[in-house]
Amino acid sequence: MPDARKPSSTSAGTGVSRRSFLRTSAVAASGLAALAASLAPLRHLNDFPSTEQFLQKYYKELTPADMARVLKRIEEEVEHQYGLRPHVRDLKPMDGVEFVYALNLTRCIGCRKCVHACVKENNQSRNPEIQYIRVLRLPHGTMDLEKAEHNYNPDQVPEPGYFYMPVQCQQCKNPACVKVCPVHATWQETDGITVIDYDWCIGCRYCEAACPYWARRFNFTKPSIPKDRLNPEMAYLGNRPRRQGVMEKCHFCVQRTRDGRYPACLEVCPVGARKFGNVLDPNSEVAYILRTKRVFIQLKEELGTSPRFFYYFDV
Amino acid sequence: MSNDTKTSTVLMALAGTFVLLALVLATRSTVLPPPKPFPLVDPALLVPTTMRTSYLQLIHAKADLSDFDCYACHEKGKPPTLRFDTNHNIVVPKEHSDIVMGHGRHNRNNNCFNCHDEQNLQVLQTRDGRELKLEESPPLCGSCHGPTYRDWEAGAHGRTGGYWDRTRGELTRRLCVDCHNPHSPKILPRNPFPPPHLLHPVPSSPELTGAHNRGGRTLLSAAATTKSEPRCSLELAADRNVRAPLLSVTNRHGQNCPRSTEAFPASTYHA
Repeated sequence: MPDARKPSSTSAGTGVSRRSFLRTSAVAASGLAALAASLAPLRHLNDFPSTEQFLQKYYKELTPADMARVLKRIEEEVEHQYGLRPHVRDLKPMDGVEFVYALNLTRCIGCRKCVHACVKENNQSRNPEIQYIRVLRLPHGTMDLEKAEHNYNPDQVPEPGYFYMPVQCQQCKNPACVKVCPVHATWQETDGITVIDYDWCIGCRYCEAACPYWARRFNFTKPSIPKDRLNPEMAYLGNRPRRQGVMEKCHFCVQRTRDGRYPACLEVCPVGARKFGNVLDPNSEVAYILRTKRVFIQLKEELGTSPRFFYYFDV
Repeated sequence: MSNDTKTSTVLMALAGTFVLLALVLATRSTVLPPPKPFPLVDPALLVPTTMRTSYLQLIHAKADLSDFDCYACHEKGKPPTLRFDTNHNIVVPKEHSDIVMGHGRHNRNNNCFNCHDEQNLQVLQTRDGRELKLEESPPLCGSCHGPTYRDWEAGAHGRTGGYWDRTRGELTRRLCVDCHNPHSPKILPRNPFPPPHLLHPVPSSPELTGAHNRGGRTLLSAAATTKSEPRCSLELAADRNVRAPLLSVTNRHGQNCPRSTEAFPASTYHA
């Protein structure tokens, strides 16, 4: 009997039975289908980095000629995406300049104009919202951040019994975020600004976890900026549009401040609570404030991060 | 059952699972639904204009200055008389009804000629007899507000703009009266810009709100602490029971809460 069945189920010479062939091919086909399905999300990846961007060198290793090419590439990408040719620059820190920010807690009325001016200046995503500045409302008589509230929305500010404390990147002298970055995509420059190379960031979010001020923001989705709201004055380490999956944060408006101008949040503050300048220049406003005013805190001073952002009070 | 059949059964079952998975994954869209649109802030509100328009700004804007021609109505060489009521508050004549007097503690700086010159109404006078043009008022303010004037001169009080690096460009300075109304210098309260919106609507079941702990907790504390406006706090209290509308700030922004339209009309947020 076995001898009689054999020729009917086996094709001549190959030694593969019909059944095992069908079984193997079904398994193989389903395996391939599953692989293809698991890669299906890639279909929706539309801002895949170009080869040029993928092979780009580390910021500090770029020669001026490399940088010129990179800036041209960014300008083309932005123009392709937003239909507007931006002016992208790579601004280097100036000699003999160390930036310091001072914020007058007596004056701040908590109107959040700085928050939205910052969004406008720095091409932050409108939806989902990414905002570098978070204005905390605190009851009088305490600096306990556990009592802070940032979703306050009364009819009118200031509200009696409260003061307001805007918090943004403190540009620490001893930044925790820089220490934890595994790829050195964020570093402190000589003028005191901690910057991020958005092309080098791998999006691990260690820096976000390390920052005690919750100053870093992550692009979970592709940032969305309406085309008519794009600010075309850009800097490589500043406000050029970010990709999905990279960190960003306040950089003291490098595209403005390294050009000698004031940051956007300062210019719009309706009560003049924000002061910025070169602390190494004894005639600057910030040097005057640190010399003569009651500079009350560096936020979370006890952590030893030594912020360059000072909160002070008028008498 | 032989080992061979067992293996093939397992393999077939696995293959079936894979096919099913493949079908499900291929047909189901892996892209998140488009996020709910947030109202955009009108960029016209984000320009560095001052709270009010001073005489100097009017001059720069080449505006109509006929309102400042005192001697169109007043008679030259005849100082106007001031009238006070029984509480020693000045009676503002109806020709000047746009002026609200509220300068000094208990509005006690209410004599026009503390600052205006009664002999020449077009100019200001300091107590030590200096005459100042209307657009050069800061030294006059400084004659009482010394420390503030000192800070202002150093750039620490008041608004600045333009260039911090004086070698590269102009520093914009603002006068006292660009922000303060000289007759009533206190800065008035204003509407705040909208608070941060959350990325996703908050799930209604309470056990899921842990993921949004930050927002949820602080908003509840907002509900607990906002007592100044009875209407708004009532709404917040109502929202407390239903989590979802509590976090959709735009719902109550400008619609439920009455807002003054003085500085930022609420409707302008919904551009």
